[in-house]
Amino acid sequence: MFPHLGHGIGLRTQHFPRVLDGTARADWFEAISENFMIRGGRPLAVLERARASVPVALHGVSLSIGASDPLSAGYLRELRALVDRFEPAIVSDHLCWGSFGGHYAHDLLPLPYTEEAVAHVAARVREVQDRLGRRILVENVSSYLGFTHSTMPEWEFLTAIATEADCGILLDVNNVYVSGVNHGFSPEEYLDAVPAERVGQIHLAGHSDHGTHLLDTHDRRVIPAVWELYRRVVGRLGRVSTLVEWDEHVPELEEVLAEAEAARAVEAEVLRTSRARSA
Amino acid sequence: MPDLRELQAAFWRSLTSGAPEARLLGRIRATPELPAAERLDIYARMYRDRIVEALREDFPRVAAVVGEERFQALAGSYLAGHPSAHPSLRHFGRGLPAFIATAPLPGLPAYLADLARLEWARGNVFDAPDAEPLGLDALRAVSPEDWGGLRFALVPAVDLLIVDWPVHEIWGAGESPGEDPVMPRRTALRVWREGFAVYHAAMDGAEEAALVRLRAGEPFAAVCEVLETPAEAAALLLRWVEDGIIARPGCRPSS
Repeated sequence: MFPHLGHGIGLRTQHFPRVLDGTARADWFEAISENFMIRGGRPLAVLERARASVPVALHGVSLSIGASDPLSAGYLRELRALVDRFEPAIVSDHLCWGSFGGHYAHDLLPLPYTEEAVAHVAARVREVQDRLGRRILVENVSSYLGFTHSTMPEWEFLTAIATEADCGILLDVNNVYVSGVNHGFSPEEYLDAVPAERVGQIHLAGHSDHGTHLLDTHDRRVIPAVWELYRRVVGRLGRVSTLVEWDEHVPELEEVLAEAEAARAVEAEVLRTSRARSA
Repeated sequence: MPDLRELQAAFWRSLTSGAPEARLLGRIRATPELPAAERLDIYARMYRDRIVEALREDFPRVAAVVGEERFQALAGSYLAGHPSAHPSLRHFGRGLPAFIATAPLPGLPAYLADLARLEWARGNVFDAPDAEPLGLDALRAVSPEDWGGLRFALVPAVDLLIVDWPVHEIWGAGESPGEDPVMPRRTALRVWREGFAVYHAAMDGAEEAALVRLRAGEPFAAVCEVLETPAEAAALLLRWVEDGIIARPGCRPSS
């Protein structure tokens, strides 16, 4: 159902020179869609260069799939133009809302987990897929609050939308961990419940601990507990395109690539062990 | 149960005002270690911080000359009156120069709006559409009798900026501007891109007048009218071509 791209990294400004001179050797790159909704210059040249050598994914932050505003026709036109130009292997955005009354929060705001929201979001995912002419993946977000009128756990909400909309899931393992701590649910229960056949991509990232809660900051290495969860996911799902996100305090390219290599090593070890067990 | 629109309206008001609504707080699942108001406040802080940070990236010199505290105040009051209306943060700062000019906060330098205009122009040039610049080879191919009727076009990645203050000097002072008082002086700036790098430079009156005529599509003979000598015209044209600001397909003899 989904291509296996290996272990990639986010395409970040700090590493643009390395992409342009051809020394950024990642399996694949994920680009933030909105950063390339521009007319020319270096960012588009970088994405062209990356795409000439490896697959790319377009990962949006402003689709606002859960908003009650109408979907933005202009945004979808720009996204479609990027999709047509770069032919990404994966197109994704977040299961959240981020706009109201024509204004944008540039943040990933939480939805109530209700039947009403499932129907609303699933219909909009279908509309987006129609406009783009392809399937998209929706990503579970880190969240810091939940609503008292939610009627189901997050994993049921995600599953219901993916099933009703016939879309894929971008499973962010770090977000499951962060939200698990912030809301007091079991990340293992979440990860075991997500429909395996719909997971088209995995995200890994670091977060920061603020005592009373965790923040999804993408500013450091993946913590051991999240690596354990990744191990569990690979054991259940097998090989899935995996991407390391690093957005703040972005280090040298080699350090980000080392995280992608660490993910590759975890995957290889888990698959070796499961093969040995089944032999 | 509130419908989604109503819930998001209350959330949005709480987010953007920083003052949580009691009815919304009642719908948030709280825990003893993290009450509802604090949970909502995480979002309110992230909303403000992310947008202010994006503004700082687009206006680094403005942020540097006013200092952290005043930049926070400036960005906060701009955000309050101009919430982001575009899916990309790239466009958020468009109204900041005018905001600084028309709604000045106390203690801001008088040149600040012009400095902001320069930084915004640099950003626009940075990701302006690509175009093939005119090369010297194309000029060499022009026969002497055709020169006067030649009309040129500029590439998209160039801007002419008229400001009341010599803000290129303030920009050039970098992150730590000097203590010398700056006096107002009408200044024409050319902002352009070579490869992926953005440059700007002050123009003298002759270059400004010539470039305005050239940009308007007037024939080269009319461009030369504002210059003293043919040598001056040749030197200017050579500089513009070397800077890559003249578009290749724009070079066409008039007939």
